[in-house]
Amino acid sequence: MDNKKSQDLNTIDRRDFFRKAAAVSATALAGTSLLANESAGEGDPAIMHHTKWGQKWGDPVTKNQYGIPSAYEHNVIRRSTKLLASGNFRASIAVTPIHESQGIITPNGLFFSRSHGGTAHVDPNEYRLMIHGLVEKPIVLTLAELKRYPSVTRTHFIECPANGGQEWRGPQFNSVQFAKGFMASAEWTGVYIKTILEDLGLKPTAQWMLAEGSDNSKMGRTIPVDKVLDDAMIVWGQNGEALRPEQGYPVRLLVPGWEGNLCVKWLRRLEFSQEPWYCKEETSKYTDLKPTGKAIQHFYANEVNSTVTSPSPELPWTDLKEGDVVEIEGLAWSGMGTIKAVDLSFDGGKNYVNANLKGLVLSKSWTRWSYMFTIPKNFQLNGKQLLLTSRAIDDAGYIQPTIDQEIGIMGVEAVYHRNAVETWEVTEEGKVNHVQIRSV
Amino acid sequence: MFKLEAYSKLLVSTSVAAVVAFSVVGCMGDSTAPSGSDTSVSLDIDGGVSYPVVNNKTSDYYVNPQAIGAKINNGRVPNAAELAKWDTDLQPATELSPEGHGIPEGSGSVEDGEELYEAQCVMCHGDFGSGGGGYPALSKGNAYDLQKTLTNNRWKDPEADGPTREFGSYWPQATTMWWYIRDGMPHPFSDSLSVDETYALTAYILNINEMFVDGVEVDDEYVLDRAKFLKIVMPNVDGFEPVISGANALPVVKAYFGKASNFGGRNLNQGATRCMSDCQEPTAKIKRIQNGGIKDFIPAMNMTRDLPKKEAVAIDVKKTYTESCAMCHSAFLSPGSGDWAGYTPKGMDKVYANGINGTEGGMPAKGGADLSDADFKTMVDYLISGKIK
Repeated sequence: MDNKKSQDLNTIDRRDFFRKAAAVSATALAGTSLLANESAGEGDPAIMHHTKWGQKWGDPVTKNQYGIPSAYEHNVIRRSTKLLASGNFRASIAVTPIHESQGIITPNGLFFSRSHGGTAHVDPNEYRLMIHGLVEKPIVLTLAELKRYPSVTRTHFIECPANGGQEWRGPQFNSVQFAKGFMASAEWTGVYIKTILEDLGLKPTAQWMLAEGSDNSKMGRTIPVDKVLDDAMIVWGQNGEALRPEQGYPVRLLVPGWEGNLCVKWLRRLEFSQEPWYCKEETSKYTDLKPTGKAIQHFYANEVNSTVTSPSPELPWTDLKEGDVVEIEGLAWSGMGTIKAVDLSFDGGKNYVNANLKGLVLSKSWTRWSYMFTIPKNFQLNGKQLLLTSRAIDDAGYIQPTIDQEIGIMGVEAVYHRNAVETWEVTEEGKVNHVQIRSV
Repeated sequence: MFKLEAYSKLLVSTSVAAVVAFSVVGCMGDSTAPSGSDTSVSLDIDGGVSYPVVNNKTSDYYVNPQAIGAKINNGRVPNAAELAKWDTDLQPATELSPEGHGIPEGSGSVEDGEELYEAQCVMCHGDFGSGGGGYPALSKGNAYDLQKTLTNNRWKDPEADGPTREFGSYWPQATTMWWYIRDGMPHPFSDSLSVDETYALTAYILNINEMFVDGVEVDDEYVLDRAKFLKIVMPNVDGFEPVISGANALPVVKAYFGKASNFGGRNLNQGATRCMSDCQEPTAKIKRIQNGGIKDFIPAMNMTRDLPKKEAVAIDVKKTYTESCAMCHSAFLSPGSGDWAGYTPKGMDKVYANGINGTEGGMPAKGGADLSDADFKTMVDYLISGKIK
């Protein structure tokens, strides 16, 4: 039988099969001796028929010398929106499908991508890093010389501080990819800047470091030396391979836990100074305007945060029914420390229970959490639709605020650093909608 | 309300640079937090914790103690020309640094700036810096008036005007504008403007923001130079916190971020509680997405697992002609030849149909080629006209 025929047959058989299976399961519910999940007589065509891939030669190993995902995964991609399309998508962002993320590592091709003048394509042979200013000895390094420093490998998320920043005045995105996907997480390899400074000698008056990219926008940011001497890194490796161009190939800055914007890509220059800089992206933008009229400048850490990833608007419960047991899963993260606990609410943050942390719990890293849940009738508790709200706590003592608590201080014009708890409403059909629980 | 005081007490004290070892065990009476873990932490400048190296570990990571403090001495010292080429940043004049940093000698007029703006900037930034098409505005009017809108907050009245955060009303320093124009603009060909051109464009932007420098209005005749530039005081220069200038800046910054309420945070060591029941404000209610929200996702959200649809690829006319038509049609009814005049008067439908179905005169169906009807018609059009559409 040729492939075309077998596919056609499959389609017919499968439709027929599911109709019969539905009838059987209805019978099972009515109390016959059949097990609820037992299949109809002729069997599932996915089992009963030969599959195309099960009989013919597969690809030779010489195909795809750099591997690519299955063609069936073509919808698992970064996405963007016209709202954030500045510069014909050059001063713009494409966000990560965090509902499809597994564990705490984002594949390099799905890592969210933000640039201020487009993705630069740097020739590694012409790559130079200059470090100067208030150091005893200024320095120029080639890529090979940079990589000769002793390396460290660390797992950290990078989050755009505008993650969730479109929703200060109310929910706008019925999507976890857009509501929380301005972030991703990877295992980074590079060198601590403090290691290089052992060679250079930092002068005691140095308070600030400028980091500047080599792209056409010369993206720059100012970083206090406290952080430079703590855990700021210059990285070239991402999940075991070179950085992707979208992540700053060949070299970017990594400032663990802090605004993604500080992790300057296509890095070419570090300068130390007593007085700070006032770069475009730390004055005109990336500043949090409060109701007092004053704005926070040089805002650093992404505060403790969390979200439910499953269910989510993208991963609804429409295929579940009363009594089904399901894992509620999510992510928690803090740029200020290590996740200590996650609480989960079924009524939009009125009452909480403890969720369980899962897998590796690392500092300034995505942390998985989980809760086993039995689906109630019509997705209701006490006559009200489920409102799933998660709340994380870190080891610096920070706990996510309610929306009222956060906007009580920050107002609704801050744009950045919004980390109040967020809520999914589950409808009677098991659909999941983004809502917020707030007084104004 | 339930207060988790025990948990709170276990957390690191807020005293600066305190290094405290603590363990969280049996939080909330069950182990929601990893229990028995000893973590050394200290407070960092951002209000969070840092993890100093203790017993060759930082946090959960082992470190090679030989690499700490090692002198490697890679690379070389840059020469003066190299430093000058890349060290192009600007810093404003301050008490510690009265001349600022990197502000070059030069000058430019509002008039020249306007001409440059019209030639190189207006297509993105709009007339008089009004913005548009997703590109930032450079002015919305009088900088001093608009600075007063920064206390506007659409908190309780969504219809109210929000704050205006453009160069004149919001930015604290003019060095930012000069530096960004010189190094980052225009995006399609940055790092291409001269020092004088940069002064001219800066002058023009001061002009459209209706600003004054040292008491003098930046009118259409104004010429900006380095000395005048150093005297620019932006209307919102004091609009930011914490203060980051001065010899004692870092302790000031650290103190600011050490207080959670400064930035809307909640900290269990600073009076916040981990409320477990009856936690929401009584006035809080469900707010849903209005008017469908934002859903112009590119591409549209799609959760199916199927094979991607093959996009219609434009047929390679020349290649197809060579491979499938030329053996006959190079000699007879060749592309663009007058011979077609004997066939086309019967109508193109007839010509197409003959080609698709084949003729007794010797034309095989579609010339024997594996083409869709649409692609075959494209080939017919080419043979008749001799031109590729």
